[in-house]
This record gives sequence, C-alpha cells and structure tokens, in this order.
Amino acid sequence: MIADDAVDLAELADLAGFIDWTRLDGVPTLFAPQPGPITAGLFFRVGTADETLATAGLTHVVEHLALFDQNLTEVHHNGVTTDTYTLFHVTGARHEVVSFLDGVCSALRNLPVHRLETEKGILRAEASRRGGSPLAPMRLWRFGAGGLGLQGYDEIGLGRLTPEDARAWARTRFTRENAVLFVTDETVPAELGLDLLPGSRMPVPVMPSALPQRPAYFVGRDGHIGLDSIVRRSPAAVLLARIAGRALFRDLRQEGGYSYTATSDYTPWNAELATLTLYADALPDLQDAAVGAFVDTVAGLRRGPLEKELETARAALIAEYDLPDKAARMLPAYALDLLWGSTIYGPEQGLARLEEVTEADLREVSHELWSDALVQVPMGGLEWAGLTPAPTWSTSAVAGRRFPRAEPDVALVVGDDGISLTTVRGAVTVLFGECVAMTTRPDGARFLTGADGFTVAVEPTLHPGLTADVVGQLIDARVPAHLTIHLPPRAPESIPQPTPVAASPRRFGWRRREG
Amino acid sequence: MKSTSPGGSPSAPVIFDPFVSVPGTDVLRDAAIVQDWPALRRHLEDARDADGLAFGVDVLAELPGLEVFLEKVLAEEPHDVLARTLLAARYVRIGWWVRGRGDADSVSGDQFEQFHSWLRRAEQILVDVCAERPDLAPAWTTRIMTARGLELGQAEARRRYTRLAVHHPHVLAAQEQLLQQLCPKWSGSWEIAMAFAREVAAAAPPGAPSGAVIATMYIERWLAESEADAPEIASPAARDELCAAGTRTAWASATSLGPYEVHVHSAFALAFSLGGHARDAAPHFRVLGNRTSSHVWSYLNDPSAAFWQFHSAALAAETGAT
Repeated sequence: MIADDAVDLAELADLAGFIDWTRLDGVPTLFAPQPGPITAGLFFRVGTADETLATAGLTHVVEHLALFDQNLTEVHHNGVTTDTYTLFHVTGARHEVVSFLDGVCSALRNLPVHRLETEKGILRAEASRRGGSPLAPMRLWRFGAGGLGLQGYDEIGLGRLTPEDARAWARTRFTRENAVLFVTDETVPAELGLDLLPGSRMPVPVMPSALPQRPAYFVGRDGHIGLDSIVRRSPAAVLLARIAGRALFRDLRQEGGYSYTATSDYTPWNAELATLTLYADALPDLQDAAVGAFVDTVAGLRRGPLEKELETARAALIAEYDLPDKAARMLPAYALDLLWGSTIYGPEQGLARLEEVTEADLREVSHELWSDALVQVPMGGLEWAGLTPAPTWSTSAVAGRRFPRAEPDVALVVGDDGISLTTVRGAVTVLFGECVAMTTRPDGARFLTGADGFTVAVEPTLHPGLTADVVGQLIDARVPAHLTIHLPPRAPESIPQPTPVAASPRRFGWRRREG
Repeated sequence: MKSTSPGGSPSAPVIFDPFVSVPGTDVLRDAAIVQDWPALRRHLEDARDADGLAFGVDVLAELPGLEVFLEKVLAEEPHDVLARTLLAARYVRIGWWVRGRGDADSVSGDQFEQFHSWLRRAEQILVDVCAERPDLAPAWTTRIMTARGLELGQAEARRRYTRLAVHHPHVLAAQEQLLQQLCPKWSGSWEIAMAFAREVAAAAPPGAPSGAVIATMYIERWLAESEADAPEIASPAARDELCAAGTRTAWASATSLGPYEVHVHSAFALAFSLGGHARDAAPHFRVLGNRTSSHVWSYLNDPSAAFWQFHSAALAAETGAT
C-alpha cells in the first residue's frame, strides 16, 4: 500500500534503458550494475535544515544511533547528515550490503536510545575536532538561526534532547515514504528488505533570507574569503561554478600568489535551487590583494569574455559522460532528485542541455550570482565594490528595565516583549516571541538567540542588580521550557568580569556561535 | 606646501596648462568643450601607446564640468568603455578636490565621507571596465588612485599596478600613482618606494619616460624631510642617480617622450634644483622654456616664482661654469 504523497516514479521515465528501478517494500529503489563490490545508499529527506536551534543535532544523533549496531568492521560504511538529506551508505559484498541495510532499518524502527548519552558525547567530540568550516558563519549571516542557517551553529539541541525526542524524529522522518534507495547491482538482491515505518514525504523547508539587502558582506575570520549565492539549478550554473573555480585558481594562486586554495562549489539543496560558493584563502600579508583579486575575478564572470572558458568547462563535463559505469555513478544524484521531486533528465537530455548552454546563459547566472551574493572578507569592507554591510545591529531596541554596565553607554534592557543590549553604536535585540533558543550556565549567564541570528548575552557579573531572582522572573519565565537548554559550567576564566574599557561589538556576541 | 624662499620676478608667465604646453592635447580640450564625444574618443584613441592614452585621460579629467558631458554621453551609449573610464577618472579628481591636498588631519569627517563616496562611484565603474578591458591603462591607473584614497592596502594597490604591467610595463602615469602609495605618507616606506622607482627606471627602454619616477621619488623625499639639514636629494649619490636616470630618460639618442616631454623635464629640473645641483638642471630648463608641469611643482608655495628662481640659478650656474 503506497501513500498518496509517496515519491512518484513516473519522474524516472527519461531514464528507461539507462538505469532500472522498482519499489522495494514501498521505497523507490534505483539500480544499475558496476563491476566490483556493490555500493548501496539509503537517502532520507531529513537534515539539519528541518531542525530548530533548540533541537540542533537531532538528525545527526539519530543517524549515529542507526549505525550503532553495525558490526561490519571490514565493510566500508558510513552515515552522512547534510542540510536537506541524510544518507546511509555501504560498499561490500551482496550479503554485507543486505545485512547493513537490514541493520539500519531495524535500528531506525527501534532506535537504541540506551546509547543516546554516549552518542551525544561522541558528537561533541566530533564537533570540537572539526572546529567549524571557515565559511560556516556565512550560513547564519544569510539565514539566521534556522533552516540552512543551522549549519553555522553547534549542535546545542543535544543538551536537552530526550530518548523520546530521538524516537519521535526517527518515527516521523526516517520512513519509507520519505526514503529512496540506490544499489549498484544488476538486480535488487532478492534477500534485501527495507522494513521501515510508514510515514509521509517531507518537503524541503522554505528558507527565508535574513539579509535585507544583497549583495552584502561581513567581516569574518582572518585568512578566508568566501562568496555564496542561491541560484536556480541549471547546466549553465554548473558550468559557471566550474569556470569560477578555475578563474579563482588562475588569478589568486597561479598569477597573483595571494592564495593557496582557490575553488568553487555547486550544491543543490532542493528541486529548484542550489548554493554556488566561491572560496579562497589569503596569505597573511596579502589579504587586501586577495580580496581585490577575488572581486575582480567575480567581475570577470559578469563582464569579461567567457567563450573559451565555456568550451573548456563544457568539454570537461562532457568527457565525464563518457566514463565507464556512468549509470551506476549517476545513481546517487538521481536518487536525490527523486527525493526532492526535481525534474530528472536522462543522459541524452542531460548532454543536450549541456550543449545548449550559451555565453549569454552563463552571463545570466553570473548576474544572479552577484545580485544574491553574500561575501565574507577577512578585513576591511566591500562598500568600494558596491556591497552593503550585512546588519550587525538590530533595527530597534525594546523598552523596559535597564541594567547598565560599569563601562559607559552599555546597558541590558529587559522588557515584556524581549531583551536588548544597547550601546552608543546600536542595539542588539531578541524578542521573546522570536527567540529560537536560550542557553543557560550555572554561573547565571543566559544567551538568547533570535530567529534572525542575533544573540543577546546576559552576563550577571557585568550588570549590577541582575540577580538570579531577576533573571528568573524577567527572562527565564518568558522563554518556553522547550527552547531552554542548560549547558555545563564554564571555565572560570570564560566568565566575563567588569572592565571599564569600551568593548567592541563582537564581544556582545551577536551572530555568534554558542556551544 | 613648502616654502622655497623664491626671489626675483617672473620674466614671462609660466605655462602650467598641459593643453597649452603639450602639443596635440589642445584637440582633446576643444572636443570636450564643444561636447563632441566621437571626436574626443577618436583623438584619445590616436594616442601613440598606452602611456599616451593614460596621459590624455589624466589631463582631461582635470576639466571642470566634464562629468556632466560624459554622463550625457553614457546615457546614450552606456557601454562605451572609454567614456566610462574618463568619467571615473573625473569622479576621482572631484573627490580629491573635495578632500583637499592636505594631511588627513586637515580633512573633516564630512569631507572624507564625500571623498570616499566619489571614489566608490569611480571604483564601481572601473571594476567592470577592467573586467571587460584588462589592458586599458588609464582604467588601472585610476584604480591605483582609488585604492589609495579608499585605503584598500599596499598589496592591493600593487596588485592593480601589476595587472596593468602585464599588458603595459612602462606606463609612467600608473608608476607615479603607485609611487605615492609606496611613500611613507600612505603607509609605505622609503625603502619600498626607492626600490620600486629604481626597478621601473631600470626596466624602461632608453628614452622612455619611466626614468622620471626617480626624480619624483627624490622630490617626495625632500618634501617629507622638510626641515632636514642635509636632505637626501642634495647628496652626491642622489645627484649621480638623477644624472644617470636623466641621461637614460631625457637624453637618450632614441628619446621620444611624447606627451610626457614637459612632465619629465619638469621633474628632473625640480629635483636637481631642490638638491642644489643647479648646473644639472640647466639643460632641462632649456628644453622647458617657460613651460612646466604642475605635477611636482605644485608642492611649492609659489610655483611660478620658484620656477623662475630655479630657472635663472640653473642657467647662471651653467654660464659661470663655462
């Protein structure tokens, strides 16, 4: 019995003769042969973008729990949690693939939550080792503290996650209607079963931008330059991403010598849209030149000649169509598109669409890239290149009880509707109605984050009169319990002490990661 | 501005106006005045090389009101690369006029705001122009100025020069703009500025105007050393270096300074004069007659009086020596 909202296999019509497909225990399953060991991947349409800041980490911990029982030390297998999907994949002999998928489905039906606390610890260790991508802040500047923006945050939801939360997530998101499987085999192994709970297909969440104006920029970490943009998915966008990467490498590394890494990325995240990202690092003494060259390279995409670049990039992509086992290698991309509900093109159509791309099409994507761009620079600003600073202050402050700091002109204001930290340069505000998470520390500190990504730090040590009772009555009582996350004690040196020195805006902590 | 205690009275008006002193530039001015863009563009494109084109844009950008005319031109022909480049160069001159030539301390917050606003307008035009025409000398030359005014950094200013030098390695206008950035007043150092001046002077073919960067560099240094008892420019080493650069630049057998003739001889005449090497200045003054370039001479309190004072001293030293 197939639910009405299940993935529609008619989308695959253009792939007839190239790959095969069926429905296995209700799960759409794509297959095509490839010599050697078999690879299988089970996708679910759930990812970090489906979480909230207060539940951040939920999908990742479910993915870990689902793999806990795997005793296949000899077999290559793993789980991947991204923004908009989760993937379990395995490579091995047929019986190993069968056994892996069987184990994953069984764990998802009946999550081994006795392992929950251990897996939380593993995830925290993983996060501290990872240290965060240099471009992670771009997510929160663009999307705030929700949806795709959550990739810019630590998994703070782990702090309050209960076994029932994890079970409920597995039960509602890791279901047969929300899954697609691919297998690199001639047939689907007869002994393979996918015993998943019934559910419904989950659409990719809508992602409103937190940026009032674009192109915009902000100053981020030393040594890194990034640009990202949400563009419509198209062969022209794929080609432009390649051309941009080559151009950056040529201009910033080979010719300029300002960078070691200079590259691009194109990642679709739903049926229609993809993120196009350009990145370069910058040598310490040459950061200004690296930024200048970066701006000029992007201008070259908008205004410079692209004809030769188009032919080179197109030839490289077409060559990839000629590689052996094309069908098997395309399976993951087709599976994802099926999961997202994208239009799926067969190999001939794909090739034809690639052949049709003109310089004018590239130009259109370049303008799209620029008009939606968010740029992270290591220093200075980009007004000179026509970009607007992304907001570093909220548009207004609340009225209410004031708790001045010892340092001049800084005060915490707590009102009925929200909380502001006010300075002479501007205010940062989180409205209680838009608060997406509040973390607490045993020393009395509170960090409130709003949906727009602004964070107000409540540091009782810095504001005379801000006693535990006051914090309890004026703040804690107004933030719902399901958004409140209690974190362990901070190191004593991390607890701020009053200082008469005027603080820089960064210290107040907006747009900051909290963990 | 620095006092040179000028003495004597001018025997004739000094011509600072490049449209009068430099042959062939009057047609540029006339076309601009009658607002004939096709003619103006044609005359600009007639420049003998990249250096000549940069010179044309440089002198035109000083014309008050040129921006009004160019904005009209661009309303009709928004893609005209040369009109955009010239307009951007004009915006930069307007910005600098608002700022004034003094130290940063003498500039008000409002002046800085306007200054930066004009430079940003120019820069945004030129980012596009340079992407379309990466070999366009006046566009990069102006971008070296915007980088300086917008304080984008030493490495960025040098990157802009390098992007130009890939196509045209001997554009004096661009070299003198970068030299400004490399001086201590714009966060550079004398070591860096001198190294750059020597590098471009040595790389230039004999008879090319780039050797004048040596003279400009010594004049900049003299300006910065205002109260020094023994300015660098007066040293025997400086004289030797100026003589060598002058010989290679202004007196090479193949000399063809083109539109930079007045500019180059002015720089050497002033540098030798400031250093007390009056006799070495004489041949440069003889070429100049009553013409000079306002470029470096505007550092002096009364450029006309100083010109004639140094002029007389130079010719007298030459006569006395023979």
